[in-house]
Amino acid sequence: MNDRRPPETGKEADLSVEKILSGALMKSPPEFHFRERLRNAVMREWRAALSESRPARSAMRRWWIGIAAAAGLAAVTLAALLSIPVGESALFGSIARLNDGGIELRSGWFRYHTLQVGDVLRVGERLTVHGSALVTLSGGGTLRIGAGSNLYIAKATELSFERGLIYLDMPPGLTPSNPLRVATVAGIVEHLGTQYEVMSDARAVRIRVREGRVRFSGTSGVVDAAAGTELLTMPDAPISRQGIPTYGRDWLWTTALAPDYDIEGRSLMGFLQWASRELGRPLDFADTHSRDVAGRTILHGSVRGQEPLDALGNVLATTTLTYELRGATIWVHSAR
Amino acid sequence: MYEEDRALVARMRAGDQRAFDEFVNCSAPRLTAFVARRSALDTASLEDVVQSALIKAVRNLASYRGEAALFTWLTEICRHELIDVQRKAARRPAQVSLEETATARLAVAELRVPEHEEPAATLEAATRAAAVMQVLASLPERYFRALEAKYGDGLSVDEIARELGLTMIATQSLLARARDAFRERWLEIADQTHTGASPL
Repeated sequence: MNDRRPPETGKEADLSVEKILSGALMKSPPEFHFRERLRNAVMREWRAALSESRPARSAMRRWWIGIAAAAGLAAVTLAALLSIPVGESALFGSIARLNDGGIELRSGWFRYHTLQVGDVLRVGERLTVHGSALVTLSGGGTLRIGAGSNLYIAKATELSFERGLIYLDMPPGLTPSNPLRVATVAGIVEHLGTQYEVMSDARAVRIRVREGRVRFSGTSGVVDAAAGTELLTMPDAPISRQGIPTYGRDWLWTTALAPDYDIEGRSLMGFLQWASRELGRPLDFADTHSRDVAGRTILHGSVRGQEPLDALGNVLATTTLTYELRGATIWVHSAR
Repeated sequence: MYEEDRALVARMRAGDQRAFDEFVNCSAPRLTAFVARRSALDTASLEDVVQSALIKAVRNLASYRGEAALFTWLTEICRHELIDVQRKAARRPAQVSLEETATARLAVAELRVPEHEEPAATLEAATRAAAVMQVLASLPERYFRALEAKYGDGLSVDEIARELGLTMIATQSLLARARDAFRERWLEIADQTHTGASPL
């Protein structure tokens, strides 16, 4: 404690106390995603509270509002007509799943609307994602978008990622001739057949590769990163690199948005491989018998709406196999 | 007094989106820091406390009468939330949850430039922060609030004056007295530690 002892009097004493207090009390501002989640959650409640407490309006006020609404509607209709594009832009993908908050889309100057599951996304559209979303890409693969993200679809094969969190999944065997590029504040990310996550805001970009490889072209050079690598960079700054696990907490948001897997008539092995990719954990069989059982078992039914880990437990419960998470791997063995 | 806060709340109650943005942008970071200083919660729990407090606040805007600063009103709500969380944590059996539980599903990784602090330095900083909070807690509430607003939230004397409902001169004087009181208590504890009488 001696080194913390401030002088007892005078200006020096004040400065010393100020230093102690600032050092202990000053906290870093909350992270971007924290702020966005907080804002969205509180805004929902605020709006709900407003709609519940809105007092009954007088007839006169309603009449005036009616007039104003009619005039507004006319103006909006005119504006919408003016902003309708001459031809439809190229298809980018479609919304496969939306979690609370949804997506707001802007195209042209005046056209805003909230997207529903099944709606298509086209080039030239700007997305503000309030909840999380799963998008099926027209060129194959999926794009998962975290809450609080802003994106602009620049081309059918290029996404301008302004801020937030996204995860791109190109399953093996899907090798589009023009793979999707993600343009960020610090450079461009291109995948070379992979699963990867990009987090970005106006200050920095983080890329985490879960499978395959990605190439990042920034102002400080071009870097390739393999599975289990994290790249961190800022505009005009060097790129730092470190190893990361491909499973666990940090990836849970992506598994929560995993596309449904249709098990009907498909092999248990195929399902296990899907679960393995979604969980970022390699498969390991206890013996050849377990592997054979997985290869010849044909599944029936559905695991729709279940997250990969839940689906894994539920499906294996109907077979003679079971699993354990052993370190990084999913270890499959006989139930008996 | 607190006319601006009352006006802000009135605008929010009327559905003014800008007022809501102002409310969240001003209060959320300060409230987060307020909770972080008073607890050792992990990020997710800290977020829960702040979120619950803000949600309760927006649901009960009508109960804000402008008798204290809006932020002071929010900190009171936050204190109750914090007490609830701590009470629940005390009742919960000590066990580590599984890595991939449904509750962790919402944990989205946060963008963070790697920190290069040595563990020893981090520990030292945490120990000092705890000691400072302990000393502040022993001071009159008004001193604590003034020092926290000035050195924790970085508010100007003018802003603190408005929040505490004082004049600028009275606030400057309050801050000076608060600093003196802090120094005195800090030295007292330092002396006790030096003689082995205090864990600090």
